[in-house]
Amino acid sequence: MYLKDFTYHKPQNLEEACKILEQSKNGAVIAGGTDILVEIKKGLRYNDNIISLMAIEELRVIDEDTDALHIGSGVTHNEVKNSSLIIKKFPAIVEAASKIGTDQIRNTGTIGGNLCTGASCCDMAPVLISHNASVEISSSTKQRIVSVKDFFIFHKKTSLKRGEIMTKIIVPKVNSSTGYCFEKFGLREAASISVASLSVMIKVVNNNCADSCVVIGAVAPTPKISIKASEVLYGIDISKLSKNSSVLRKAGEAAEADSLPLDDIRGTAYFRRNTVKVLAQRAILKAVIRASNLKI
Amino acid sequence: MKQLVQINVNGTEHELAVKPSATLLDLLRDQLKLTGAKRGCELGDCGACTVLMDGKSVNSCLVLAVEADGKNITTIESLADGEELHPIQRAFIEKGAIQCGYCTPGMILRTKSFLDQNPDPKADEIKEALTGNLCRCTGYSKIFEAVETVVDYLKGKETEKIKFQLQKSARDLSVVGKRLPKIDAPDKATGRAIYTDDITLPNMIYGKLLLSPVPHAKIKSISTEKARLLPGVKIILTGADVTDISYGTSPPRYDENVLAKDKVRYVGDVVAAVAAIDEETCYQAIKSIEVEYEELSAVFDPIEAMKDGAPRLFDDKYENNINTRVDHHFGDTEKGFAEADHIREERFVGNRTYQNPIEPHVAIAEWDRHGRVTLYTSTQVVHYVHHQLSRILDLPLGNIRVIMTNCGGGFGAKAATNMLEILSILLAKKSGCPVKMRFNREEMYLYGRGRHKQYIDLKIGVKKDGTITAVKQNAILEGGAYSSFGIVSTYYAGSMLPTLYNIPNYKYDGYRVNTNLPPCGAMRGHGTPHPRFAFESLLSMIADDIGMDHIDIRLKNAMQPETRTCNDLDIHSCELTACLEKVRKRSSWNEKKGKLPPGRGIGIGCGGFVSGAGYPIYRSKFPHSNATIKVQEDGSKAVLFVGDADIGQGSDTVLAQAAAEAMGITLERMSVVSADSDLTPLGFGAYSSRVTLMGGNASKMAGEEVRNQVLKSAAEIMELDESKLTVSNNKVLEIDNPENYIPWEKAAEAHFSTKGPLVGKGHYSPPEGLGGTYKGAAVGTSPAFSFSASVCEVEVDMETGKVKVLDFWDAHDCGTAINPMAVEGQVEGAVVMGLSETLFEDEVFDKNGKLLNADLHNYLIATSAETPRIDSTIVDSYESEGPFGAKEVGEGATLPVLGAIANAVDDAIGVRIKELPITPEKILDAINEKEKK
Repeated sequence: MYLKDFTYHKPQNLEEACKILEQSKNGAVIAGGTDILVEIKKGLRYNDNIISLMAIEELRVIDEDTDALHIGSGVTHNEVKNSSLIIKKFPAIVEAASKIGTDQIRNTGTIGGNLCTGASCCDMAPVLISHNASVEISSSTKQRIVSVKDFFIFHKKTSLKRGEIMTKIIVPKVNSSTGYCFEKFGLREAASISVASLSVMIKVVNNNCADSCVVIGAVAPTPKISIKASEVLYGIDISKLSKNSSVLRKAGEAAEADSLPLDDIRGTAYFRRNTVKVLAQRAILKAVIRASNLKI
Repeated sequence: MKQLVQINVNGTEHELAVKPSATLLDLLRDQLKLTGAKRGCELGDCGACTVLMDGKSVNSCLVLAVEADGKNITTIESLADGEELHPIQRAFIEKGAIQCGYCTPGMILRTKSFLDQNPDPKADEIKEALTGNLCRCTGYSKIFEAVETVVDYLKGKETEKIKFQLQKSARDLSVVGKRLPKIDAPDKATGRAIYTDDITLPNMIYGKLLLSPVPHAKIKSISTEKARLLPGVKIILTGADVTDISYGTSPPRYDENVLAKDKVRYVGDVVAAVAAIDEETCYQAIKSIEVEYEELSAVFDPIEAMKDGAPRLFDDKYENNINTRVDHHFGDTEKGFAEADHIREERFVGNRTYQNPIEPHVAIAEWDRHGRVTLYTSTQVVHYVHHQLSRILDLPLGNIRVIMTNCGGGFGAKAATNMLEILSILLAKKSGCPVKMRFNREEMYLYGRGRHKQYIDLKIGVKKDGTITAVKQNAILEGGAYSSFGIVSTYYAGSMLPTLYNIPNYKYDGYRVNTNLPPCGAMRGHGTPHPRFAFESLLSMIADDIGMDHIDIRLKNAMQPETRTCNDLDIHSCELTACLEKVRKRSSWNEKKGKLPPGRGIGIGCGGFVSGAGYPIYRSKFPHSNATIKVQEDGSKAVLFVGDADIGQGSDTVLAQAAAEAMGITLERMSVVSADSDLTPLGFGAYSSRVTLMGGNASKMAGEEVRNQVLKSAAEIMELDESKLTVSNNKVLEIDNPENYIPWEKAAEAHFSTKGPLVGKGHYSPPEGLGGTYKGAAVGTSPAFSFSASVCEVEVDMETGKVKVLDFWDAHDCGTAINPMAVEGQVEGAVVMGLSETLFEDEVFDKNGKLLNADLHNYLIATSAETPRIDSTIVDSYESEGPFGAKEVGEGATLPVLGAIANAVDDAIGVRIKELPITPEKILDAINEKEKK
C-alpha cells in the first residue's frame, strides 16, 4: 500500500491556498487526511497537487460572536469534543464529534474534512443541519455562505466548486428553550460508520413545540431534513410525547418515510429505515427533555 | 521532489528530506529505523502505528511526514527512562496484557495520551479510550487491568497481588502453575521485539505480487516487456518461470502453483511476482504487466458448485467441485433415532471469517554464496515451511534456514507455507539481493485461509430424560479455490462432535466444495466451531422441547474420563462436569435462567479441542516436538532451544517453565531460542493447540536429562547417593535433610569442568496407533482433549436488534495450567474473538467474486468497547499424557463461545437465529417474523 507521489504545498494563508488550488490541474486540499489519504492509498483517487491547510491558523480557531459559534474548518473532532465553549452551549455537536472514529482519528480528522468528503453518512452533518448551521466557502476571488443543508448535493458531491475551500462552520446561537439530540447507530460500539444517524431540534414554548427539525443521515444520498417528521412535531403538546405515544410513533414513521436508503454492506434499505424510525423516537424524547430543562 | 522536514523525535531534532507521499510511519520506520510503530492495516483502522504527536495519539500511517514538520513525536522507544520502565510498560508486562505484542507499542502510547488527559478514569472510559487500537490476542481484559494498575502506580500505590488458588496438581511445583509474566513481554513493551518487517538487510530489495482481477479465467498471454523497462525493476516472474511442482498443505491435495500456470481461479489468485528497489516501483511494474484473460464462468455458491454442469475449477480432479468427501457412520443411527423419544433436525449456516492477525505476513529471503538460503518469516510452522521449501526448491533441508522472528499473531492464517515465502526466495536467487515481501491488509484477505463457511444439517435424537441416542450431521464446507487445510477441516467438522458428549450412534456426511473465492483453511478451532455452534444451539432447543434445563441436558450427556468415543477417539482426563457445575454457580444460572426480563438473556455453550493433532500433516517418523537445553558453563543460566513457535500465545514462557521445573531452577535463569531451523531441533509448530502438551513434554524431558546430570555431579560433591538428592529452586538438596544443599550452579559447573558441556535433549511423539482404522480416523486423534463450559449473558436492544454481551463465565479443563495467567489470556482472547465472529464478522463478495470488505474498516472486528466482563476459572484436572498434567487451551477456548451467545440471544428475544453472524438485522427480522405468527 502506498501513496503515489504528488507535489505538496503548505500555504501560509488562505489566499495563497486558494491560488494554488485554482492553478493546479488536479489539486486537492488536505486537512487531517483521514479520508483523503485512505482514498489515495486504496487507489480510489489521485491528486497531483496536495495543498495542506495545516499552517493556516485562522482555520483552526473556535470562537463566537453575539449571534453565532464559529468553528474553523481545520478544527479537529477532538478539539470540538473538548471545547468548553461547545460543550457548554452546543452539547449535541459534542455528541456527534465524539462518536466519530477513534481517538487517533479525532485527533487529526477535521470538521471541515468530514463535511467536504460529502459522504451521506457524514456524522457532523445532521447535527449541524438541525442547528441551522452554514459554512463559509472561499475562493481567491470571493467568499460565500451556504447552509449545510444545501452544501450536500449527492453522495460524495458537495457544492464546493473548483478552487474553493471551506473555511468555517457558522452555528447560530441556541435559543434557550430549544433542545437538541444526536443519535447514531453503528454495527459495533465504537469506530463504526453510521448505518443511520439522526439529529433533532425541538423548541418548546408553553409546553408546545414551537419549532422542530429532524435531520436524517446515512439513509439518503445526502443528509437531509425529514420535513414530514419535523411537521409531525410542530405544534404538538409535548406532554403527550412519551415513549409509546402515537405522536412519537408517527414522528418516527415520518422520518422513515422521508428516508431513501440503499442496500449496502452495513445493512439493507429496510433495516436502515427501521433504524432511523427508532433513532428518531429516541432522539426526540431526549431533545424534548433537554428543551424543557433549559427552560427551567 | 523531496522536502526538508524538521522534526523532533523522542527529544532529538532531525532534519530529514522526505518524499511528500511518505507517511510519518515511513519516516519513523524506514528513515529513523524506529520500528516500534508497526504497520498493521495502513489505513488508520488498527492503531498499531500509533505514536504521539505533540502529546496526542495519531495513526502515523495517516499523517504525511511533511505534515509532521515542526512537531514533537514520541514513539515507544523513548518511553522507558533508560533501564527504568515506564509504569505503563511495567503494568502491561506484569498483568499479562501482552501476547503477540504487535499492537502493544500503539496500545501503550494510546494509554499514555489517555492517562495524561484523564489520570483517574472510570472503567467505561478506559474501554472507550482504547477503541482505536485493535488487539486480536488478548481480548482486552488484561489490558484494562493493566491500565487500572498504572493508575495505581501513578498514585504511588502498589496493587495487591492477585489471590488465586493453586490447582491441586500444581501444589508441589515451584515454577509450573504460577502466574508469571511472559519472558518476551519486556521487549514487546519497549518496541525492542523484532518482527520480520522490522528487518532491513544490506542491499535489500522488495517484492510484490500481481493478483488476478477476474474470478475464473484462462491466461492467454502475459507480457512483461513494459514493466521490465521501468527504472528500478529487477526481476519479474510469471508462471512460465517457476517450477511445475505444486504445493499446498495436505499432501493428498497439493493443488497450488507457485504462480498461476495457465488458469486463475479467484480474484486474488497470484499471476506474477515483481522485485524492484522499492514497493512503489513494484506496484508501478505490476500495473504495467499486461495479461490477457479468457474469462470462464465462475461459481461462488458451494451448493450451486456441486450441481452437474456447474463450472469446474479443476478439470482433472474434484468432480462436481467436491474437493473432499467424508462418509462416516459409527454405531447404528437408524436404531439410535428409533430409540429416541424426541428428534429434531435444523439447518445452521456459518460465516466466512478471516483470522486477521494484526501483523501482516512478511518474508525476507537471502542467499549466501554457498548455495544456502535464509528465510525470515512470520509463520506459525517453521518446520512445515522448511519441508515445503525443500520440496519446491529441490534442496535438502540443510541448505535452507527458516527463522521465525517474532510473530504478530496467526490464529491459523500463518499455519502453512505461503507464496511470499517461496517467491521471496526465487526473486532473491535471481536478483542476487535479499528480497522482502509483505502482504498489505487486502492481500492478506485475498491470500485467505480463514474459516470455511459451513452449511450444516444437524439432527439429534434424545430420550425423555435428555440422553442422546443418535446424531446425524451433514456439512457442506465452502472451500474457496484451493485445498489448503480443507481436507483436514472437513474431517474435523465431523470428528470433534462426539468428544464432548456421549454420542452412541453418529453419522457424518461432509463435503468440501471448491468455489471461485479465496481459499479457506484452518482458523482457531479448525473446522469445528460451526458444527459446535450448531450442536450447542440444537441441544438447547431440544432441552426446551422436552422441558429440561440447558445445563442439565449437558450434564446428562457430558463426556466422562477414560472413554473411547464412538469414532474411536480416546479421552483420558475430562472434567466437563466440573466445568458445567462451576459456571452454573459463578453465573448464578439458576437464579437467572428463565427469569430475566425481555431483551436480557443467558445461554450456555460447551467446547473442547485436541491437545495437538495425533499425526503430522505429512507422513514422517520425526518426533513432533523436540528440545535441547544448554547450560552455561558456570551454571548461571540455561537456554532452551525448541522448534515450536511462540506466536503470542506465550509458549516460550510456558515451555521454559516446564524445563525449569524439571531442572529445579527458577524461570529467571531461563532463556529461550525458538523456531529457527538451524538452531532449534524440529518442532511442528503452533497449530492444532499442540505446543503446551507436545513442546512441553519435550522441554520437560530435556530438563530432566539436565537434572539427572546435575544430580550425579552433586552426589559426588555432597558425597551422598544420587537417590538421596533432589533439585528445587536453584538448589540441589538432600531429600531427608533439606538444610543440606549446594547451589544448583555449583553442581552444574562441576559437571562442565569434568565432563564437558551440560546439555539435555528431549522429544515427544504421541502414543502410537491413536484412533481407529477407518478412512480419516487420524483426524481428531490427540494425546489429550480439553473441555470447557461458558455461560454468557446478553442484552438485546429489541428495537434496533443490537446485542451487547455483558458477561462471560468460563470454566476450563486444560489439565494443569502451566501458567494460569497465560491460560486466562487465551480464554479472554477467545471470548472476544468468538464474540466478534458470532456478532460481526463476515466476508462479503460482489457478484463477480470480488471481496468487498478486505480491510478493517468494513470487516468489523471487536474493539475494546465490545469486551464483556470475563470471569475465567480453571478447574482441577490432571492429564497423565501432558507435561506436569497439562493440556491445551488455545483453540478449545473459542468453541463454547458461539453457541453460548446464540443461546443467550435466543433466551433474550425468544427466537432462534441459526445463521452467523447474528446481526441486528437478523434479530429484528426474527422478532418481526415471530410477531406475525
